[in-house]
Amino acid sequence: MSDAATTDQPAAFADRRRDQSSRRRLRPLSQRAWAALLLAPAVIAVILFRLVPFMQAAISSFEDPDGGYSLATYEFMFTSPDFLNSLRVTLWFNLLINPFQILVALALAVLLTQKLPAGRLWRTLAYAPTAIPIAVSAIVWRVAYRPDDGPINAVLEAIGLPTQGFLIDQGQVIPSLIVMASWVGVGYWMIFLIAGLNDIPSEYYEAAAIDGAGWWRSFFHITLPLLRRPLAFVLIADTVVNFLTFAPIQILTSGGPNGASDVIMWSTYEQAYRFGDYPLAAAQVVVIMAILLVIVTVQFGMLRTGEKV
Amino acid sequence: MSTARKADGDLEKGADPADDSNRVRGVGLDAPRGVRRWVLLPIAVLSGIFFALPLIWIVVSAFRPERDIFRYLSPLDPRVLIPTDWSVASFTALTDGPFPRAVFNSLLVAGVTVVGGLIVCAMAAYALAAIDFPGRQVVFTVVVLGFLVPFDAIAIPLGELFLDWGLRNSYSALILPGIGNGLAVFALRQFFLAIPKELSDAAKVDGAGPMTILFRIYLPLARPALVGAGLLLFVFQWQAYLWPLIVISDANLQVGPVVLAQLQGQAEYGFDPGQIFAGTFILAVIPVVLLLRFQRHFVRSIAASGID
Repeated sequence: MSDAATTDQPAAFADRRRDQSSRRRLRPLSQRAWAALLLAPAVIAVILFRLVPFMQAAISSFEDPDGGYSLATYEFMFTSPDFLNSLRVTLWFNLLINPFQILVALALAVLLTQKLPAGRLWRTLAYAPTAIPIAVSAIVWRVAYRPDDGPINAVLEAIGLPTQGFLIDQGQVIPSLIVMASWVGVGYWMIFLIAGLNDIPSEYYEAAAIDGAGWWRSFFHITLPLLRRPLAFVLIADTVVNFLTFAPIQILTSGGPNGASDVIMWSTYEQAYRFGDYPLAAAQVVVIMAILLVIVTVQFGMLRTGEKV
Repeated sequence: MSTARKADGDLEKGADPADDSNRVRGVGLDAPRGVRRWVLLPIAVLSGIFFALPLIWIVVSAFRPERDIFRYLSPLDPRVLIPTDWSVASFTALTDGPFPRAVFNSLLVAGVTVVGGLIVCAMAAYALAAIDFPGRQVVFTVVVLGFLVPFDAIAIPLGELFLDWGLRNSYSALILPGIGNGLAVFALRQFFLAIPKELSDAAKVDGAGPMTILFRIYLPLARPALVGAGLLLFVFQWQAYLWPLIVISDANLQVGPVVLAQLQGQAEYGFDPGQIFAGTFILAVIPVVLLLRFQRHFVRSIAASGID
C-alpha cells in the first residue's frame, strides 16, 4: 500500500526522491506489478505445461485426415473394439481398486492410531513403500510374480497350494496388479486419514463414552462423519492416480494377456508411439480428461450433499 | 484401567509426528486393551510384515551373489530372506553399464527441480498470501487448479509440444514440467498466511521491498514448509516415468527408473537379476531415507494440502 502512495507524491518531495539510491528508485512498482512479477513464472508454467497441451490435444483430435475439422477420429475411436476394451478394462480396474485401497487405508489408519506396542514401527513400514517409484516397485513385483521360479509361487507350493499364473493369467492379471499397486499406494493414503483421525477432538469420544456408546457406535457416528473431508480428498486423488496407471502395465503386462490389462493410458501411449496415430491418441487424452472431470465432479457433489445431511 | 492407560500413553510418547497431542491424552477411538493386545496387535504385525517383506527381499537379494537369488525358493527355505554370503558384486557389475549415469541424471533433475521449484512456488505463494491485489482469489484458484491437472494425463500432447519447441532430449525437458507444483504453492501459502503482517509492515517502514521481505522474513520463517514442499518436488521427479520415456531418447540423458526398466527388459535374455535388485535398492533407498529423515515435514505438508 505504501508503495502505491509513492507514485503520486507531491512535487516537493520529487528532488529528494531523485537523490536516493537506484535501489530506492526501483520501488515505485505498484503492489499489483509486484504480484504480477512474482506470479508470472508459476502462471506461465500452468498455462504452458498444463492448459496448452490439453487445448493442443483437443484441437488435434478434431482435425480431419482430409483437412478441416470433423468428428472422424471420434467416430473411429468409439467404434474401435480395442478402444472400447481399454475403456472397459480401465473402468473395471478402477471399480475394484479404488474402494479396496480406501477401505484398506482406512482400516490401517484406524488400526495404527490405536495404542499398540511399537505402533510407530508398523506405521513406518506401511508407508515406506510409497517413497519408491512405482516403476521400480513394478520391476521387483515382476520377479516376485514369476510363474516358474518366483517367490510367491514358491510360498504357495510350500504350503501345498497349486501355483498360479498371476500376470500371464487373463483372470488373475487385474487382481495381481491391484495387490502390487496397493503395496505401493495404501500407505500414502493412510497418512491423510491418520492426520484426519488425529484432528478429531477427543471430547467427542469422551461424550460418547459417557452416553455409553460402544466402539462401533463411536466409529460410525463420530469418526466416519468427521473424517468426511479427508476421505473425500483421498477418494478423488486415489481415483485420479489409478485412472492414469501406466508404468506397471508397461513394465509388467504390456496390456496383456489378451488385452485383459489394456488400460486407457497404455492404449493411448501405444496409439501415439507404436502405431504413430497421434490424432487418435489426442482424442483418447480428451476422453481421459472428460472422464476424470465427471468423476471428480460427481465425487465432489457426493461430498456436498453428504455435508448437508 | 487408568494405570494401563498411562503405561500405554508412555509408550506413545515421542511417537510419530503424525500423532497429534490429543491422542496422547488417552481418549480416542481406542479399542479395549485386551482387544488391542490380542487381536489388533497381531493384525498390525502381519500388515507390517506384508509391507516389509518385499523390502527385505530387495536388500538381501541386492547384497548376495547372483547365484543365491533364486537358490532357496524351491523347496522354500528361510534363507530366501536371510543373507548367507554377502557380496557387492551386483553393485560393481551395475557400475559398468548406463545405470550410474542415469542415477546422476535423476539426482541432477530432482535437485534442480527442488531449487527452481521452491523459488517459483514460494514467489507465487508469497504474492498470493501477502500482497493485496484485485482478483487474488481468482489467480489463486487458477494456479492451484491448473497444477492439479494430472500431469500424466496431458504428458503425451505435451510431448508433441516439446517436439515442436525443439526441447526434447534435454535436461530442460525433464526439469521444466516439475518446477510448478500446486500442492507446494498451496502448502507454502497456508504457511505464509500465518505469518503476522506486523513483521512485514515493520520491514516496509524501514524501506524493504517485497523481494527483501520474501527472502529476509518469510523464507527463513517458513523453513519447515519449505522442506515439505521441497520433498513434494523431489518425489515428483524421482517417481517420473512416463514423461522421461516420452521426451528422452538419448541414453545419456535418461533417468534411473527408465534405465532400470530397460535393463529388466533385457533380463529376459540372460541379464543378471542381481543387478536389477542392486539398481532397485539404489533407487529405493534414496527417497526412503529422505522421507524417513524428514517425515514430519512431509506428513505435515501433504496433510495440510489434503484437508483444507
